Amino acid sequence: MANYHVVIIGGGGTGAALAHDLALRGIRVTVVERGEVTSGTTGRHHGLLHSGARYAVKDQESAKECIQENMILRKIAPGSFELNDGLFVAITEEDLAYYDEFMEGCAVCGIPTRTLTREEALRLEPNLNPEVKLAVQVPDGTMDAMRLPLRFFATAKHNGAVIKPFTEVISLNMEGKTVTGVHVRDHTTGKEYDIGADIVVNAAGPWAEKIARMAGVDVPVQPSPGVLVAVWGRYNNMVINRLHRSGDGDIIVPQRELSIIGTSSWVVDDPDQLEVPEEHIRLMYEKGAEMIPAIKHAKMRAAWSAARPLIGSRGATTGRELSRTFKCFDHADEGVEGFVTITGGKATTARAMAETTADVVVRKLGIDAPCRTREVVLLPHTAYYT
Amino acid sequence: MVETTQLNVRRRQRRPGAWLHVRRRHVGSWAFALNRLAGLGLVLYLILHLFVLSLLAKGPATWNDFVALAKSPLILPLDIILLAGILYHGLNGIRVALIGVGIGVRQHKALFWTLMLIAAVLLLLGTWGFITV
Amino acid sequence: MAEKIIQFKVFRYKQGDPEPHYDTFMVTVNERTTVLDALETIRRDQDGTLTFRHSCHHASCGTCGMRVNGREVLACVTNVMELGTSEVTVEPLQNAPLISDLVVDMSGFYETYSQAHMPLIRESEYLTESEVAEGVPFHMRLESCLECGLCLSACPVVGTDPDYIGPATLAAVWRVVQEPRGEDPEALLAWIDSEQGCWRCHAAMECTEVCPSNVDPGGAIMALRGELTRRKIGRLFGKA
Repeated sequence: MANYHVVIIGGGGTGAALAHDLALRGIRVTVVERGEVTSGTTGRHHGLLHSGARYAVKDQESAKECIQENMILRKIAPGSFELNDGLFVAITEEDLAYYDEFMEGCAVCGIPTRTLTREEALRLEPNLNPEVKLAVQVPDGTMDAMRLPLRFFATAKHNGAVIKPFTEVISLNMEGKTVTGVHVRDHTTGKEYDIGADIVVNAAGPWAEKIARMAGVDVPVQPSPGVLVAVWGRYNNMVINRLHRSGDGDIIVPQRELSIIGTSSWVVDDPDQLEVPEEHIRLMYEKGAEMIPAIKHAKMRAAWSAARPLIGSRGATTGRELSRTFKCFDHADEGVEGFVTITGGKATTARAMAETTADVVVRKLGIDAPCRTREVVLLPHTAYYT
Repeated sequence: MVETTQLNVRRRQRRPGAWLHVRRRHVGSWAFALNRLAGLGLVLYLILHLFVLSLLAKGPATWNDFVALAKSPLILPLDIILLAGILYHGLNGIRVALIGVGIGVRQHKALFWTLMLIAAVLLLLGTWGFITV
Repeated sequence: MAEKIIQFKVFRYKQGDPEPHYDTFMVTVNERTTVLDALETIRRDQDGTLTFRHSCHHASCGTCGMRVNGREVLACVTNVMELGTSEVTVEPLQNAPLISDLVVDMSGFYETYSQAHMPLIRESEYLTESEVAEGVPFHMRLESCLECGLCLSACPVVGTDPDYIGPATLAAVWRVVQEPRGEDPEALLAWIDSEQGCWRCHAAMECTEVCPSNVDPGGAIMALRGELTRRKIGRLFGKA
């Protein structure tokens, strides 16, 4: 096979899964990332291994993607998740009214559920608000936001991929309207150099638009941050979600000895300018306490923002109206060769995003190489370093 | 290996004096550093002590000269330092032996200060003994 | 919210430099600002060449380990104003090869640590009164160790002896002894029952002091010694 070289811009979850997918297909891969791997949005997400139930009513495309990938990840990354399942809890009459839609949505999307009475729910999670009316069990889980992508990177590396952190893309090299590589600065040495590529993939998350403009194309990415609050204490084993239309502060994810309450949603132009509004921190505590009252007095460990890369043109107000699905853009459609963008998506669906993108890449290169990432078990994350 | 630019990566060096860098460390590190220093001091004292004892072989005159020197008031501070060293090294040594097999690990700081209190009391008694005897 | 201007003295080194140096940056902080927030602000607004590791922003990934005012911390949970100084010194971790600025090479850490074969998931010791949901085998959680390397940076023995197995790995071995999960605790005990293993420790307990995740490596090392001592004594009398 000809020695094709693909450069991936962006060392987040998508870049990791894509490097792994392409390496398995026998393609030479280089990932360039301006900071430490997963230091963009991926490292700081909620840590939820999504069942998709949250999107079962309003965003069924995303919900189906989530449950399928949830099951695949359990198979290819065993031993990486707190697999205690999750509960969607109804606290108010309003919540109860949502139950039928929710159950129907889950059924349509293939998300397994089990309905529990108030007593059953409290036996599983004694810290729940005693006002809880019923709960629905779903296959949610907790993941370590950095270590899961690290398994993809580790496997890719051991299959020949080269991962270059602290290597920032300054510009794209082009010959006419064809992208031929990247011009980077290595921040560990201060030196700039070029990396040639047959195809450059833009997997830069909320920075995808910034990178796309370097090639003279536009990609509709709307960075949409949300606040997350980590508190000391493990109040629940299962992921606790509010049984209602997606809103703020309606998920509590247990992780190690912490509980992570999230999240909120607004839109920004620049994903490097992320604030943590004080009212949002208060809101997380308030909304979290509606599900688990004891969390109101939990000591804060950290409060931060992460920018979702949402697909959708400008005009969104909070970001909640945009889909959480993903999209791959082959910029040959706009006359630019050698350049592909993958954006949107969720941490849980990174592998699927990579499969779609890798399929586009091999088609462009004229290679017949099928995807194998559904079956190949990933190396442990420590293998990234050894 | 992760591809880091290996040109001039500073290799992990042996820092023989690392145990002495206690400025921003906690009481456990201070205890260890002091234990080592006291131990070194006691070894030096031991050598000195053996030398002194060898003076016995040189006859009563040499020995009496030494005893006269040893009774001088200038020696008293040195004796106190010596006693402090013995008490510190010995009592902290008990602490190290205990936690070294898993006993009292959680309470190692409280154990330290308790033993230091005992050391202080014994040091005062000893000093009084030096002065009065 | 109250604001203050803090002077950050940041260690700088690029590959090829003959010597490292310090750069000074003035940053306006408020009551919530962490050292990581300040470093991100510096990188975005003042010096885009500053390199530092970070990822999760909430003390779970362990990548932002560094020395702030001489002490090992995770930058993402170190509140600047609570440090109480108007000048804050930021330096990389010790006892790991330096790559650039605040970034150290963790491959040495992992080469040793991975030999403990500690699974990432453990049985959770919390909320034992809760019933387990149907289909879930037992309450599980991620292991506490964040692989941050703060313990290795703080340990006086790791400083003086590059061959010492070190607190992080020893703590991981103890976890496997406590909960094997299919790994081989006997082989691991044999490995750390050595001059460079659990006996190399001098009980400074600095590792436990700096650990941001309640691993208590010092306690684990002493527990390993206790376990080995019990076995040795048992063998002594067993044979008799």
